[in-house]
Amino acid sequence: MLAPPVNTAPLIEITGLTKLYHGAQRPALDELTLAIRRGTFFGLLGPNGAGKSTLISTLCGLLAPTGGSVRVFGADVQTDAALVKSAIGLVPQDLALYPTLTARENLSFFGRMQGLGGVRLKERVAACLAVARLEDLADRRVDTYSGGLKRRLNLVIGLIHEPQLLILDEPTVGIDPQSRNFIHEALRTLHQAGMTILYTTHYMEEAENLCDDIAIIDHGKILARGAVPELLRAHRAGTIVAHLDTDLPDAVAQQLRALPQVRTGRIEARFIEVESDTPDATLAAITEILRGARLPLVSLSLGAMNLEQVFLALTGTRLRD
Amino acid sequence: MIALRQLIAAVAKESRLILRDWHALAVLFVMPVAFVTIMSLALRDVFTERAGVTFSVLIVDQDGKLVGEKLRESFAKDKHFHVELASAPLPDAAQVEAQLTAGRYKFALLIPAKATEQARRRALEQVRSDGRASGHTPSIGMRLLSDPTLRADHRSMLVAFTNGALRAIESRLIAERIVELARTPFGSSAVSAPALAAPELFREVSDEHETGGTRTMPNPTSVQQNAPGWTLLAMFFLAIPLSVTLIKERAQGSLLRLQSMPVPTWVLFCGKIAPYLVINQLQLVLILAVGVWGLPLLGGDRLSLGNAPEAIALLSVSASLAAIGFALLIATFARTPEQATTFSATTVMVLAALGGIMVPKMVMPPAMQQLAELTPFSWGLEGFLDIFIRGGGVREILPEAARLAGFGIACFTLAILRFNGRLRHH
Repeated sequence: MLAPPVNTAPLIEITGLTKLYHGAQRPALDELTLAIRRGTFFGLLGPNGAGKSTLISTLCGLLAPTGGSVRVFGADVQTDAALVKSAIGLVPQDLALYPTLTARENLSFFGRMQGLGGVRLKERVAACLAVARLEDLADRRVDTYSGGLKRRLNLVIGLIHEPQLLILDEPTVGIDPQSRNFIHEALRTLHQAGMTILYTTHYMEEAENLCDDIAIIDHGKILARGAVPELLRAHRAGTIVAHLDTDLPDAVAQQLRALPQVRTGRIEARFIEVESDTPDATLAAITEILRGARLPLVSLSLGAMNLEQVFLALTGTRLRD
Repeated sequence: MIALRQLIAAVAKESRLILRDWHALAVLFVMPVAFVTIMSLALRDVFTERAGVTFSVLIVDQDGKLVGEKLRESFAKDKHFHVELASAPLPDAAQVEAQLTAGRYKFALLIPAKATEQARRRALEQVRSDGRASGHTPSIGMRLLSDPTLRADHRSMLVAFTNGALRAIESRLIAERIVELARTPFGSSAVSAPALAAPELFREVSDEHETGGTRTMPNPTSVQQNAPGWTLLAMFFLAIPLSVTLIKERAQGSLLRLQSMPVPTWVLFCGKIAPYLVINQLQLVLILAVGVWGLPLLGGDRLSLGNAPEAIALLSVSASLAAIGFALLIATFARTPEQATTFSATTVMVLAALGGIMVPKMVMPPAMQQLAELTPFSWGLEGFLDIFIRGGGVREILPEAARLAGFGIACFTLAILRFNGRLRHH
């Protein structure tokens, strides 16, 4: 992926943002502070109920915060709502379309609501249909579309007014890999053209592939922030994972458990996962023990292998509502 | 300028959505037409029955003595009347007519001042055969004013009842005078036999119904009772599709998307109001057309529209505003289409029943009638009856139109407050 042109000026500045819903025991956003640079492809990750939707709603001026401030393009979202809204494109998780209207009618309507008209509106409708590759289906009612086609239209409606900031809330839920790939490519193109994108998803692979900056949020707080390599380095750096081809003899398992550097661990028949404060030394010791016992390795890794491991390490494996 | 463009876009979008849902649209027109046709034909003769009917009557007793007292007693004893006595300062005939036009009473009896004194004197003159005072005192005229919405048969019944009560008083006064004369020397020979047969102390009462000026005033028919009522019901039934579209937009996320755009809430709401306002007017035109041309073909009465089309238009728009405001309010409180549908249907039916749409207010007990006055259905119905039956114009229906529009605006304001509050704080 080509590196997009990045302007270092923060486009979104969130300071001490708190949102406590009426009757709730704890805040959905808890004094959250975050700055996002212009031109960033920003991934916002978190389990259900972490506060992602609340943050997006507040950013779009749909929700009044209990405390703190949100500035987008230097303007306060609460006091300059109209200005901020006209520069933001929101792609909701739901298919925010009118099923009995055609794609062209949907785009024209939302374009007019964004203040477009005349030739400019026609141009933008045509451009959006082209981005979504819906030119041939433009005059068909949306309720005759497949899920993937609807998702593509849902995406380009958010682009109708050429926003500077595009906010996408899980835009690839429930679609086939081809449609997902199409949306990814479209977003990459937009990003390379300089658009700032805020993207939420539960698919960690998507975030790893698309985003150049990621925040993991839970209980209304940011738990981790950075580019994917930074996150992988910063979390689970002391984790060693090994997969074996044969069952581990009890004597060898005892040896591994007795290693002085191991903090916590899970040693099973063909699987080893240990945490160590001195991972390099521990890795050498494990390799030595396994080689001595002539046990063939299938894989051996140090540190987190992917974003999902970091995510689960930070947010836990407990099921969420 | 941008807001206007947005409003036009919202109206166009809403119109497209409505026009593409033919089934829902058909129901909005077929349902009221079917109701008006069936109810007007089915109830054509029901209104002629007197059983269970209670009439509110205003008695303006300028006499304050025996004649007034006995008339009041006669009406009060009959279970079909709910008597209210005008208090001082007593209203004049014009004020009473205004109250009848406003629909506060079904009829009013005006008893002239010194009626008892005059009746006694005339009775004495009538019973004396020596002619000493005969012929000097004229017979007494009572005025019976009635609400023009009262059916002709009910009106005849009231006239007959009043004349009957007067005859009873007459008999008593004549009897008293005879007794008086009999106590005087040669008294019995002084009694006039013809006077006993036809004393004529009181002139025969005839009905004067308030026509609201010089306009023509046809008698009410079942279609005139039913058409406005069912039109109002149809208008308020619009609450169901309107509230459901708003809730669906919320569920689909399109409302959220619109809220994320620089679009004022009033534009979103007015975008919905305009097409439904047009539908309401088309409903009214269709129902009136059925009343005027369709029902006579089926053997029903012809709907008489009065003489003030501009008043019909004003009242119709006001009623529509009330119905749409009510629908928007429901839409902002209901969470699901099912909730909105159930709540709208139930509330509309209860309000319609209470407001005299299904059961005429005149057959309701007085307490229910007072309660009915609080419903927009009653305001609308009275307004249409003002035009169709009482011959009223814009001036006469202004209070009802203002109430309906006020109700609509109040609902609309509450809906916007609720909508913005719910979105921003929950």
